[in-house]
Amino acid sequence: MTASISLRGAGRTFGATRALADVDLDLEPGVIGLLGPNGAGKTTLLRLLATALPPTQGEIRVLGRDPEVPAERTGIRRRLGYLPQEVGFPRGFTAFAFVDYIALLKEWTEPAARHAEVRRALDQVGLSDVATKRIRAMSGGQRRRVALAQALLGSPPVLILDEPTSGVDPEQRVTLRTVLAEIARTSIVVLSTHQTEDVAALCERVIVLDRGQVRYDGQVTELVRQAAGRVWLADQPDPAATVSWRTGTGRYRNVAAHARDGVEHVEPSLEDAYLLLRGELPDSQPAKEVAS
Amino acid sequence: MTGWHADDETLRRYVERIDSVAEGASVEQHLLSCAQCRARVNTAATAVDPVVVDLAAVWNRTRDAVEVPRPSVSERLLRAAGLPAHEARLVAVASAFRGVWLVGVAAVLAFAALAAAVGHARGLWFFLAVAPLAPCLVVAFSYDRRWDPALEPEMVTPYPALRLVLLRTIAVLALALPAVLLFGLVVPGQAPFAWLLPAIGFVAVVLAASTWVSPLNAAMAVSAAWLMTVWLVATRSASPAAVLQARSQVAFLVLAAASFGIFLVRRRHLRQLRPWR
Repeated sequence: MTASISLRGAGRTFGATRALADVDLDLEPGVIGLLGPNGAGKTTLLRLLATALPPTQGEIRVLGRDPEVPAERTGIRRRLGYLPQEVGFPRGFTAFAFVDYIALLKEWTEPAARHAEVRRALDQVGLSDVATKRIRAMSGGQRRRVALAQALLGSPPVLILDEPTSGVDPEQRVTLRTVLAEIARTSIVVLSTHQTEDVAALCERVIVLDRGQVRYDGQVTELVRQAAGRVWLADQPDPAATVSWRTGTGRYRNVAAHARDGVEHVEPSLEDAYLLLRGELPDSQPAKEVAS
Repeated sequence: MTGWHADDETLRRYVERIDSVAEGASVEQHLLSCAQCRARVNTAATAVDPVVVDLAAVWNRTRDAVEVPRPSVSERLLRAAGLPAHEARLVAVASAFRGVWLVGVAAVLAFAALAAAVGHARGLWFFLAVAPLAPCLVVAFSYDRRWDPALEPEMVTPYPALRLVLLRTIAVLALALPAVLLFGLVVPGQAPFAWLLPAIGFVAVVLAASTWVSPLNAAMAVSAAWLMTVWLVATRSASPAAVLQARSQVAFLVLAAASFGIFLVRRRHLRQLRPWR
């Protein structure tokens, strides 16, 4: 049986606010990217998957287990790595001490095996050289990687990552992509990001959320293909375009909801396709011109 | 070049590093000039017990010595009290054990006890107001999200939340109650154990209330209610002893038992990630 996660009509409300509604998804091993504007419900969805939050409607099964049942929830947590959007670190902790503490909570009670595993996780995120450095003295990117290291403990079959690359420098991002791609050969990796290039480089499948609902779920290449013929360069911002911005060359990149002829078409990127999808959504009015 | 060669036994002792310093130095000198014996050292090194040359293990032990943080004073105390090493670590990580809070609480208690001991009536009231609150405030600080910022990754681990909460509470009580008791001894005219039941009762109330609200808010509410009660009693009665008489002791016992019961019944509300939000 392959590892899988399924959601049926899953939703979550906070008081009167509906953060997520009627989500039906089936997730298999591989890297699945979550895209969407702030407040779209990405974090809520990830927290539902990570058993950090119970759904208010629908049902969720992670590796065939029901998170509502305490024993099964513990079973899920034994096979889960979770990187929350924000991780606080206890004062005075070194990277090693923090990851070691989480490893204890993940039931690594035998010291030698636990220390070896903590080292492996820190090594995986490229932090073995600063294992004894205090987290408070680290850069933002290093802290993010410490937080990621605790999620990688025990190479779990389910990895839920909320913005794993935020604040991480380009070289480390590339290293992290390699690590995640390797893990995703056998594990389900679900990650949210604002970086479309992370999704383009890493994910086969992308899910676009908007106001608590799934607006697109499919192959990254298919989403990009939808933008074909709708992205072009011009000397002026085109009034017909949904979005246009001035690029580094001084010319304007125009992205429009409808295909257009007689213009200088360029290869669409995932970002173009994403902006286009966002522009098509009812009731949303993206700025005519966005800063580049 | 000499005609002498190291015998097998000498080489084995050299490889296993069980020879004397002089013997080792002499074999080393010989090896520098004798290719034949050097070759035999290689053979000997592969033949010895793998434990001796398990370089990976040696390296891991070296890194442990460098990387693994030394246990804090409170962690060592907990281990000495019989808690398994990993649980002692889990308990000691709570922010309340980072020293500052315990020192602060002890200082306030000492001040109150001193005021009471010099015989000033207001000092006694002050001690009465502060002492029973100290343990529940320390318990609240040891779990509140603002003071335990790593809560989110902690709570999605398989480790049972209830066990963690109870372990930390018991550890807090084990450290805070003797302090209250000790300072209570200095206060004239009161049985030192009279402070214990209110203190335990308030901790139980904080635990029960924290299945609804944040533990710190619960502790604040308990403190406000207690200070109000003490103030009301102080305005009506001349003697602080009224608060600690047998009848109110029974009331505190009932409060503690009922609150702990509520906490156990509602322990499911600790189940999800942010139990106190």
